[in-house]
Amino acid sequence: MSLLTACSAAAGKTEQPSITVMVIPDNVLVGDRIRCIISISHSEKEVAALEWRDGIDTFSSRSFELISSKHLSSTLLPGSSQDKFELELAVFGAGHQPLPPVTVVLRDSKGLVTKKVVYSPPASVFVRALTDSSVRDLTPLKPPLKPQIPFLLIMPVILGAFGVAVVVLLLLFLLKRVVRKSAEKVDSSQVAQRKLRKLGSSLSAGMPPHECYEELSNIMRSFLENHYRIRALEAVTQEIERDLKKLGIAGFENIMNLLKQADLVKFADSRPDVEESRQSLHKASEVIRSTRHSRPPEE
Amino acid sequence: MQLAVELEELGTQIIEASSFLEHAEKELSLRIIGQRDVIRRVFIAMLVNGHILLEGVPGLAKTLIVSTFAAAMNLKFQRIQFTPDMLPADLVGTMIYNPKDLEFYPRKGPVFANVILADEINRSPAKVQSALLEAMQERQVTIGSQTFPLQEPFIVLATQNPIEHEGTYLLPEAQVDRFMMKVIVDYPSYDEELEIMLRSATNAIKVPVKPVVKPEDIFRARALIDRIYVDPRVQRYIVDLVVATRKPAQFGMPELETMIEYGASPRASIFLLLAAKAHAFLQHRPYITPEDVKAIVYDTLRHRIRPGYEAEADNMKPSDIIRLILQHVQVP
Repeated sequence: MSLLTACSAAAGKTEQPSITVMVIPDNVLVGDRIRCIISISHSEKEVAALEWRDGIDTFSSRSFELISSKHLSSTLLPGSSQDKFELELAVFGAGHQPLPPVTVVLRDSKGLVTKKVVYSPPASVFVRALTDSSVRDLTPLKPPLKPQIPFLLIMPVILGAFGVAVVVLLLLFLLKRVVRKSAEKVDSSQVAQRKLRKLGSSLSAGMPPHECYEELSNIMRSFLENHYRIRALEAVTQEIERDLKKLGIAGFENIMNLLKQADLVKFADSRPDVEESRQSLHKASEVIRSTRHSRPPEE
Repeated sequence: MQLAVELEELGTQIIEASSFLEHAEKELSLRIIGQRDVIRRVFIAMLVNGHILLEGVPGLAKTLIVSTFAAAMNLKFQRIQFTPDMLPADLVGTMIYNPKDLEFYPRKGPVFANVILADEINRSPAKVQSALLEAMQERQVTIGSQTFPLQEPFIVLATQNPIEHEGTYLLPEAQVDRFMMKVIVDYPSYDEELEIMLRSATNAIKVPVKPVVKPEDIFRARALIDRIYVDPRVQRYIVDLVVATRKPAQFGMPELETMIEYGASPRASIFLLLAAKAHAFLQHRPYITPEDVKAIVYDTLRHRIRPGYEAEADNMKPSDIIRLILQHVQVP
């Protein structure tokens, strides 16, 4: 579709030039090109020229980019002539884009300016943008926030906190090591002997012998677990026997005899008397004493 | 230290009554090399009226163990090869029409025997499997309108192949639960394999197996097993182990909570106790220790624990779960 816009800049005065603007097409996609024909009718003694108020770049700064221009002169009637400017423009932006104002300059044969008319063409071009029509607003990108406290000032604080954390961890590690060492210093055989003595006293105080055997079994298993580092508390007697054999513990038969006796009391409803229980406690004490100096296996 | 008088007496009786198993073991060793654990598990199942699911790749003497066992025990043996086209009637029997009398009469199926080898049980569809499992549970079979009790001792030894699943019908958990034990039949050792090869690679007639056991020996052993003493500590240990498969966090294993989809049923506790008793009997002991429980716990629980998704992702098998449980549940 083409839109023809005709306008007389100065109606009624013959010496004023008559300007006509035609835009083809008037509805385009962004980036498309249009043809803009500006016809200026004036007296034949004059020559017309076009000037843009802010120079040719005005087109560029707005929504139009001048691609090429052509100038044709012709004589219409005796005494009048017409200058035709054919402009090829690239169109940008979106929506109705009015054509920029132009200045029509008329010069005589000597090149002197006789008239100068500023003309704003009433024509416009509708530009369809290649974006989603539902988008109404564009959110501008937020500029990056500048830290309120300079990084160099925070750095010492971070380093300080890190240093404190390292010191605390180091202290905890050392503390744990000291506690473990002190625990290791407590001889498992001494602990077992102390428990056996306590058990002997309980037996004298009237503890039932079958309960004594149960406790004796627990003491022996704890001792074996701590002294030989074998899993004795969750193991059955047969498994303990296998582990002790594997370690080559001298006199393990005595340990096994005690555990098997305790098993008889625990699982076979055997009812030992007090004297038998006392003898077993004595044997257990001797077994622990004999193994006291045997070295636990290397980890 | 002396045992209680009644346990002392029971111990003597057990030694006497269990001698038939030693004879049977000797007979079995004439034909079978190795697989001692499998043979022991078969004895345990027979002694406490249980059934066994044997899992192993082909060629590990599963059928030979069962047939030799039946021969040595002087029991009627039937091998049933399960196939996809099998029907329940092929197993339990059917009503046959007699044109002379113009009447139907029942024809008993191969399930009417003392020792049944259900070979490749997972090759038959569920209806055939359930027909056999019903016979295992009820110890009787109904053909038409007549119910026939199965002859005692009645033991089913089913086999399945762990590597081949194409064209098989996986045994449902509810049915697997009826097997007292699931025993994994492993490859023989190097020396055993050498002996198997030298003994079998011959055209000579195989050594015949003598029947050395009478059914009465088995019934007497069963009566003695019922009298074996179980201390409350061991009773609690058994229940602890079974409950730990359901609520591992209670036993200090919260990491196992997501590893187990569901744990062992109360049937596991019953079978664990029975199998531990039979194990003690084989050790000539009139009482159970936690050793007996530990000795058979893998075979009794492995098919009753279903590992969860996380366990499968970690390639964790039921045996690994049982191992962890044994490490955490304190022995009395």
